[in-house]
Amino acid sequence: MYVELHSASAFSFLEGASVPEELVDTCVAAEMPAMALLDRDGVYGSPRFHLAAKKAGVKAHIGAEITFLPLRHRDTENVSSFKFQVSRGRLETRNVKRETCCIPLLAESRAGYQNLCRLITRMKMRGPKDAPPEVIAACEDDLREYAAGLICLTGGDDGPLAAALAEGGIDAARREVERLVSIFGRENVYVELQRHFLREEEARNQAAVEIARELRLPIVASNSVRYARAWQREILDAFTAIRHHRTLGTAGRLLARNSERYVKTPREMAHLFADLPEAIAETGQLSSRLEFTLADLGYEFPRYPVPEDETMMSFLRKRTEEGARERYGRADRHLRQRARRQIERELALIEKLDLAGYFLIVWDIVRFCREQGILVQGRGSAANSAVCYSLGITAVDPIQMELLFERFLSEERGEWPDIDLDLPSGEQRERAIQYVYQRYGKLGAAMTANVITYRGRSAAREIGKVLGFDPEMLDRLAKLVGSWEYRDPDETLERQFRDGGFDLTHPRLRKFLELALAVQDLPRHLGQHSGGMVVCQGQLDSVVPLEPATMPGRVVVQWDKEDCADMGIIKVDLLGLGMMAVLEDSIAMIHRDYGEEADLAHLPADDPAVYAALQKADTVGMFQVESRAQMSCLPRLRPKCFYDIVVEVAIIRPGPIVGQMVNPYLKRRQGREPVTYPHPSLEPVLARTLGVPLFQEQLLRMAMIAAGFTGGEAEELRRAFGFKRSELRMRDIEVKLRAGMERNGIAPKAQQQIVNSITSFALYGFPESHAASFALLAYASAWLKCHYLAAFTAALLNNQPMGFYHPSTIVKDAQRHGLKFKPADVARSKRLCTLEDVSSFTFHVSRKETADGAQRETRNVKRDFAVRLGLRYVKGLREEAARALVRERERRPFASIDELARRVPELRKSELAALAEVGALNSVSSFEFQVSSENEPANLKLETRNVKHHRRDALWQVEKAARPPGPLLEEIAEADAASPLPAMSDEERLVADFRGTGLTLGPHPMAYRRREMDALGVRPARELPGLPNGKRVRAAGCVIARQRPGTARGFVFLSLEDETGIANAIITPDLFEKNRLLLVGEQFLLVEGVLQNLDNVVSVKAERVLPLAITGAATRSHDFH
Amino acid sequence: MNATIYVPDFLVAAVVRLEPALREKAVAVLEGEPPVVTVAAMNEAAAEAGIEPGMTKLQAAAYPVELRQRSPAQEAAAHAVLLDCAQAFSPRVEDTAADTIVLDIAGLERLFGPPAKLAQDLARRASELGLEANVAVAANPDAAIHAARGFASVTIIPPGKQAERLGSLPVDVLQVAPEILQTLDRWGVRNLRALAALPEVAIVERLGQEGLRLQKLARGAVERPLVPAEPPLEFEETMELEHAVELLEPLAFVLGRLLEQLCARLGARALATNELRLMLDLDAAQIEDSPRDRVIGRSGHRVIDSAVNSMTRSPDAPMTRFIRLPLPMLDSRLFLKLLQLELRAHPPAAPVMKVTLSAEPVQPRPGQGGLFLPATPAPDRLELTLARLAGIVGKQKIGAAEVLDTHRPDAFQMKRFAPSAPQGLKPRRESGDREIGSSEHLKTDHLMTRSPDPAMYSTMALRRFRPPLAATVEVRDGEPVRIAAGEIRGEVASVSGPWRNSGEWWKSTETTPRIDTDDHGSNWARDEWDIAVPGTQGIALYRIYRDLASSAWFVEGTYD
Repeated sequence: MYVELHSASAFSFLEGASVPEELVDTCVAAEMPAMALLDRDGVYGSPRFHLAAKKAGVKAHIGAEITFLPLRHRDTENVSSFKFQVSRGRLETRNVKRETCCIPLLAESRAGYQNLCRLITRMKMRGPKDAPPEVIAACEDDLREYAAGLICLTGGDDGPLAAALAEGGIDAARREVERLVSIFGRENVYVELQRHFLREEEARNQAAVEIARELRLPIVASNSVRYARAWQREILDAFTAIRHHRTLGTAGRLLARNSERYVKTPREMAHLFADLPEAIAETGQLSSRLEFTLADLGYEFPRYPVPEDETMMSFLRKRTEEGARERYGRADRHLRQRARRQIERELALIEKLDLAGYFLIVWDIVRFCREQGILVQGRGSAANSAVCYSLGITAVDPIQMELLFERFLSEERGEWPDIDLDLPSGEQRERAIQYVYQRYGKLGAAMTANVITYRGRSAAREIGKVLGFDPEMLDRLAKLVGSWEYRDPDETLERQFRDGGFDLTHPRLRKFLELALAVQDLPRHLGQHSGGMVVCQGQLDSVVPLEPATMPGRVVVQWDKEDCADMGIIKVDLLGLGMMAVLEDSIAMIHRDYGEEADLAHLPADDPAVYAALQKADTVGMFQVESRAQMSCLPRLRPKCFYDIVVEVAIIRPGPIVGQMVNPYLKRRQGREPVTYPHPSLEPVLARTLGVPLFQEQLLRMAMIAAGFTGGEAEELRRAFGFKRSELRMRDIEVKLRAGMERNGIAPKAQQQIVNSITSFALYGFPESHAASFALLAYASAWLKCHYLAAFTAALLNNQPMGFYHPSTIVKDAQRHGLKFKPADVARSKRLCTLEDVSSFTFHVSRKETADGAQRETRNVKRDFAVRLGLRYVKGLREEAARALVRERERRPFASIDELARRVPELRKSELAALAEVGALNSVSSFEFQVSSENEPANLKLETRNVKHHRRDALWQVEKAARPPGPLLEEIAEADAASPLPAMSDEERLVADFRGTGLTLGPHPMAYRRREMDALGVRPARELPGLPNGKRVRAAGCVIARQRPGTARGFVFLSLEDETGIANAIITPDLFEKNRLLLVGEQFLLVEGVLQNLDNVVSVKAERVLPLAITGAATRSHDFH
Repeated sequence: MNATIYVPDFLVAAVVRLEPALREKAVAVLEGEPPVVTVAAMNEAAAEAGIEPGMTKLQAAAYPVELRQRSPAQEAAAHAVLLDCAQAFSPRVEDTAADTIVLDIAGLERLFGPPAKLAQDLARRASELGLEANVAVAANPDAAIHAARGFASVTIIPPGKQAERLGSLPVDVLQVAPEILQTLDRWGVRNLRALAALPEVAIVERLGQEGLRLQKLARGAVERPLVPAEPPLEFEETMELEHAVELLEPLAFVLGRLLEQLCARLGARALATNELRLMLDLDAAQIEDSPRDRVIGRSGHRVIDSAVNSMTRSPDAPMTRFIRLPLPMLDSRLFLKLLQLELRAHPPAAPVMKVTLSAEPVQPRPGQGGLFLPATPAPDRLELTLARLAGIVGKQKIGAAEVLDTHRPDAFQMKRFAPSAPQGLKPRRESGDREIGSSEHLKTDHLMTRSPDPAMYSTMALRRFRPPLAATVEVRDGEPVRIAAGEIRGEVASVSGPWRNSGEWWKSTETTPRIDTDDHGSNWARDEWDIAVPGTQGIALYRIYRDLASSAWFVEGTYD
């Protein structure tokens, strides 16, 4: 029997070429009963290895190759001087002696595994992320401290034995092995033999056998596997070149000598070691010694410190009850009772599962955020829990919404709950994260990792580089790979390459393609997950190794979020959400500028303005309901209550779309189709959504009812939905599902229907609770937009980029809603967009006849705000310069451009020019006067006008101000003079606006051409809804979004904006094919076709598209491809 | 008065000149090496068809345009034609740019008529020579240049009207630096009239002297003398022979005379040369009817020759040889020796009718060496020695062997032997440096790992057969049991292996077409064995290998 005890996966980051699952697959194919995974300085791949092996019935041994500093260096030099030497020598390659070697260690017991994790943590924490191996290398003392429970092999060509042998011959090698024996104990050291058909290796083997015999140590064979299959040596060679920043052509002897490090069968290994059968036999014996697997992780739930007279459970109970009183205190008796019962049920389960500590930890974070004024809201399945609602973790009332608690937590599933908190992106979220670190200590809390894998572009770029392509070609290739989301069936790679201008018959391009595809999804390096944190009571480093993240003060675990969940580690996600920041900023502005309070917790529940806007799909900027697809659904769904928004949020998802659930639901809602159920037993589950499954919870329940799944099986089903690597699992589940339904006597047709709806969710499906949390944010954003447009728009502009639309579209939309904007102005703008009170000049006069006949005049002053564009929108103006400018202005206003340039030396010439070009310098040094318009009653309408300067004047002045006048004239202030330059034309202003800020506050470019458009018979977007279905029309506008969704079978959706609104156009695949360049590249398009105006959803089904030359301004579109 | 002749889309025009059929067509010119070949230039028709600079060849091929590869030779020829055309009209000609030539036409009325006629003639002449050019006449060279660049066909600007006529041209005809162009664009200054109208002092305050210069150019007010093109410094001597020379010795006599002339001319200008070019016009009739081996040799001695094939010539083109020197020299006797060696190695294929010898003029090198530096071989002597050796063994087989950084066994390349500049007296090598042929380098060829204890592991050296000997090997159970390769034959007494090597998998196995310029071969894979074969003088150890691509066996060497 042979067991491969020394293999590394691609989780050795560029030192291995196969993912753990592939290793397990080949291990199974080779009929090997067990395998050990030893990645470089980590156990990154171990959860995936463990799970794959568990499924395949293979025993997964865990270990690691530990970078080790051989004896001679420690004896002769101290670490710092050594570092210096190495850093100088790093450019040298093979010819410089290897300064470190690596020791393969295997975890024999749980204690051994814990020691391994601690050892790796200690090493990794020694230096910054990506510190060179010499800095983090373990020394003898480290090994002695953590040796217990670990088994040491003497390694291959980079092992300690080989290093000593090369350095000092067989005597040195013997001494080195003796040293290992003294560290790990005689019974825990195995002399390792490898055979890759290399002469030097065989020489080493002879020495190793001799030493083993002398010291009476067992010999053990291994193949030091680096990839599953022989051809993958090419990937490893490419990785080696990447690691050494070389090309394959210049990597020379850094590359492998042959392709022998694949997973060999026991028969092959036995043949190789025919002269040393004991080395093969020993692998089996050693394998049977290794008791530890990841099933025996020893993770303990975190504890929350509570007062002495309390247990965590009693403390949680009190906090929950306090919260419940507040949440349900004013509710009706019936609801109160239901809430009380549910809370009791949940608390009992929490107690039983011993999860009180976890809930308290999350509650504590939420409490911290509340105290600090940070907006926080739980999302995901936690919203199913009344305890979470009572604790203030979530904002959706699960009792009123009748949400399914079991989706969050159930006893039989044996899975820990998962609470995700949404926080405003940016600084606020960072504060919450730092709080957790501070509270649980460096070794008690860490971020989960995010394993960065090779994806289309990164793969193309790096593989192209090692093949020696020049930068220009790399750019082209990388662009090519990130093509449209949807791919025609006949859109082969050859064709894509041809379209991109490359000929795939060139052998090097072929090799490029082969390799770029082969490295897809292989790990590249470890990143940090955006918000996932794991907490453990001060002993996280014995569960999984920790390492420093790039961001100072951050520590990450070696497993990603999925792996942590797979290993049963509890985590809290602290996610940054742009919309949360928008809400927070809006509320602050409403408080500061309007002097009013907006409390998101107590928004009016059924605000008519909100529903009116939603029904009209007037939703630009609103959370989750602003996309083109959402906009085309809203008028058909016509939301009337909060639950409709929940449905709206969940329905426009790939899951329901692919599962073809959208149309049936909408038809049933409109009463055009009867409400039916696949099977009568499913009615209770599907009644709320008119017989159409839309939420994950419903699918779970369907599986449980129709196929008799247990909670655990349903859980397996749900997990399989979540991520890509589950296709095989999905198939297994389908078989099980059908068998279950067969047993329950469900007709084949209904079976198919149920299977379809469930499997289509494999792509993506929302849990109802999550949709409810998001719907709450959607409602809040809609409410703010309807009632505080200025504040909401300013906040939205300040948190870009986010959402579906470019800022220029947001501005135009707000203008159409009557919001006034003021341009960026160095005399007034701050870095961010701000509100300016313009209300004092607008009066509403109404006359009323009173009872006694006298006329009474009332004047209502309407509060009105304009948005002043912030300096952050001036392209090319650095943040520090903008801050310096505002700081200096607050001391004293600027009298001239010359003065501005002198007082804010941070401003570069290009920045001054950028400010001047967008008109931000127009008001400096000009005087203001007020004009009263003659048509208005005197003093009612006043306008403030800036005269003297136009943008070209400022540009003229800037060019002079930016040239230092020399020391003599330095102190003489100079007034700005008028310039000989002509003022900008409309077109020039448009170009300057888009170039300088990416948007224009003036008329829409289409507005200048309306007369021509009228002549062409082009209808403004606003008129389209009033035209009958089927009418031939022409629409035109600036392309603000192009979409070619994977779910739309090659159809392309364009959003065309003009000065009156947004028109939608649908492009068929044929038309797209004929006009590809036009549709992808043109900024302004004219579309001719048949108007589809059904259920208030309006779009033009294009039959012809034409380019329009409207302006030279660089308008932008968001392209989703 | 000055006239300017300007060829729009010069890169395209240079191509079209030789292919008149392309005149009316959309043409784009490509540049670059495969697999990236991009559009460098195109004519107006091609631009209208949608071609843009930077497109790849494949992309451009999708449009109805003719694609041609850029050719520096054609461009140089087109430029020369342009220059010729101008020089036919005026003795004072400025070679302004590849596509622009300025002529001084003052006082030429009596010869060619009024400026308008001269300009028409100039344009017609260029057209006859295959180049469609714009011609402009103005009072000063720059005004003429800008008018020719900006206006199509023929333009005559009467003196004093420059500002008025140039006013409508866009600013970029001035070839302004990008940052100034950006500023002018921001100012809304788009044509020369607007630029000319700006106040002078203000311009200087903002754009400095360069701004003022541009403004003067815009007004057509820059007076500057023409910089007439100087005939290039050419050192060439030619001798036509009354009787065709068949033997090398009389030819050497001729060469000697020419060389003396050349060296004297170079010396008079304090120049030396680092490249000699010898052109021999051969008796074409003799080539055609002479059998391949009828060639001349020293003292009538016949030399079997492959020169006809190796020379860069067609039957009626002269034979050309280059002598490149490592550094500038001026020694006619040395040159003669080098030429003789060269001709002996590559004798002409027929009697010589005409000899042309030219030298590339360069600055001579300073002769002072360091006082305490060891003497290196005199470069001229070294060059002579190397040339002699190359004559014997062939050019590809001389130089310094450089071992390549690859696992491919015995991979090396020949580098030109050039002793490095003296470094001073410091010992050059430190331990750890790799030396070609040192034991460190040969490590992989050792049977055993090196050990400080020689008694324990003996080291063996491999004596390579270059090239390896083809062998016939009988294999049993995957191991060689019998070998036959020339004198090496017999049962294999003992064997160790296989030692498996493969690499450079990213290179194609096909040998043609070879695109990769850095390639030193294609991919390779082989299994090596070390075998012991009993022979007449005891047991001999060999390294044999099987090339896995061809399955052929070879003996690579023997162990000492």
